[in-house]
Amino acid sequence: MTSQLKQDTPAKGKIIVITSGKGGVGKTTSAAAISAGLAMLGHKTVVIDFDVGLRNLDMIMGCERRVVFDFINVIQGDARLKQALIKDKRLENLSILPTSQTRDKDALTKEGVEKVLNELREEFDYIICDSPAGIERGAHLAMYFADEAVVVTNPEVSSVRDSDRVLGLLSSKTARAERPGAEPIKAQVLLTRYDANRIAKGEMMTVEDVLEILAVPLLGIVPESTAVLRASNEGVPVTMDEPSPASAAYMDAVARLTGEEVEMRVESDKRPGLLQRLFGMTA
Amino acid sequence: MNVAVDDPMERQAEARTSVRPIQIRGRFLTAVALRVDGGPPDDAFYAGLDDLLRQRPHFLVDAPLILDLDGAEGLTDPDDLRQLVENLKARKFMAFGVQNASDAQLAAATEAGLIPVPPGRDAPLRDERPDRRRTTERTPSAATRVVTTPVRSGQTVVADHGDLVVIGPVASGAELIARGNIHVYGTLRGRAMAGCHGDLSARIFCQSLDAELLAIAGLYRTSENLEHEVHKRNVQVFLQDERLCVETLG
Repeated sequence: MTSQLKQDTPAKGKIIVITSGKGGVGKTTSAAAISAGLAMLGHKTVVIDFDVGLRNLDMIMGCERRVVFDFINVIQGDARLKQALIKDKRLENLSILPTSQTRDKDALTKEGVEKVLNELREEFDYIICDSPAGIERGAHLAMYFADEAVVVTNPEVSSVRDSDRVLGLLSSKTARAERPGAEPIKAQVLLTRYDANRIAKGEMMTVEDVLEILAVPLLGIVPESTAVLRASNEGVPVTMDEPSPASAAYMDAVARLTGEEVEMRVESDKRPGLLQRLFGMTA
Repeated sequence: MNVAVDDPMERQAEARTSVRPIQIRGRFLTAVALRVDGGPPDDAFYAGLDDLLRQRPHFLVDAPLILDLDGAEGLTDPDDLRQLVENLKARKFMAFGVQNASDAQLAAATEAGLIPVPPGRDAPLRDERPDRRRTTERTPSAATRVVTTPVRSGQTVVADHGDLVVIGPVASGAELIARGNIHVYGTLRGRAMAGCHGDLSARIFCQSLDAELLAIAGLYRTSENLEHEVHKRNVQVFLQDERLCVETLG
């Protein structure tokens, strides 16, 4: 009877880790934008901050004043998951599981993370894990139970090399890699801070170069945009903010993540404004 | 009148405080055992020993040596033992102990200044000149390792018994190590070390060369001293007269 019930329940939630290896490439911004985008498309989504001790996600999601209990409290049994989850006020499908600012990554345990993720799988369609930079405990546990991975990369050599390292870890040091016969983690690259002008000048790597090195599918190209910085400062995920080339690029990436086929396009991000054009002429 | 200075006890105590603490450390060492048969060694024994030393001059020089007296029933005179130790010392063998000694032999050995050593496990001595041809003959079908996924930065792939074939790119910061040849069907941006056990005939092949380091049998070149002509080209790397050569293919 119970097994019958289990078979009837639809496929459980999908765990997607947003990772990169290198810091400052836009992991948290992308985690916020993607999770908000998924929620906007009607999927029940939760985003978890794995960056214990350097809590940022709550600020980008604009809920830093509503944090009472956190991920670590849940892992250590001091609070129930329901108490720690913060429901977004703008999108009813979106929840945030913030982390602790006072603890460090050692507070994360594999068993604890697994338990929380399994509980979230029952309730949500998508579980987005916002990984910290680096390849140590926090990053390792963020990717360990993932079904899919979004590797955030900037078009520059150090970021690409770190992403490559992370792709190696995804295919060797995760639950799916360790379980014999399991399908490997589906990893895709999200190219952020893409600046066509700088690439034309040869200051940045081209998309082809990056993909040639990483040898994984491209999830999307997010242009460098002032909208991203403004949105994070205001505590609004880019995808919820007013339309911009960046938000359009994130929405395309979200659609691809859900299995839709969307043509890859890069909006010429910086159409020079009137003032800029004037200054450009005089300069 | 200063009594304290003249007091020997006091002086001793003073001396003790100035002495550095005694250090005792555990130490493992490898010794060789020399088997002596019959009675006191005769000229034939020394002739055989000299013969061995002539064949391999550096064999066991200054090696700590234990005399195995298991088969030397006749060797019970301390003078004979002393003589043997002297003769060995003349050949740069440093005998310091005996093993498998009978009670009588033990007494003689102690008198000759040798210590009893409990018999350990015998290990085969490492041959100074390993015969490579013989070892390759023993493993005729060397195991080839084939990797069909990209080799990522930070990964090391080792083919300890044969060739290594990678189908896909090798990222910068990745390492390929093989006993035999290395083939990369993709761009090689990391390091490749072929012939890691000293095989001078090993080669490296790759479709597009952008390597950080290429090495064959320990001889290496870094990207800095690779000719520009071979950059991003389909190449093979091999040793010729102890020089690492990079040659384009096709």
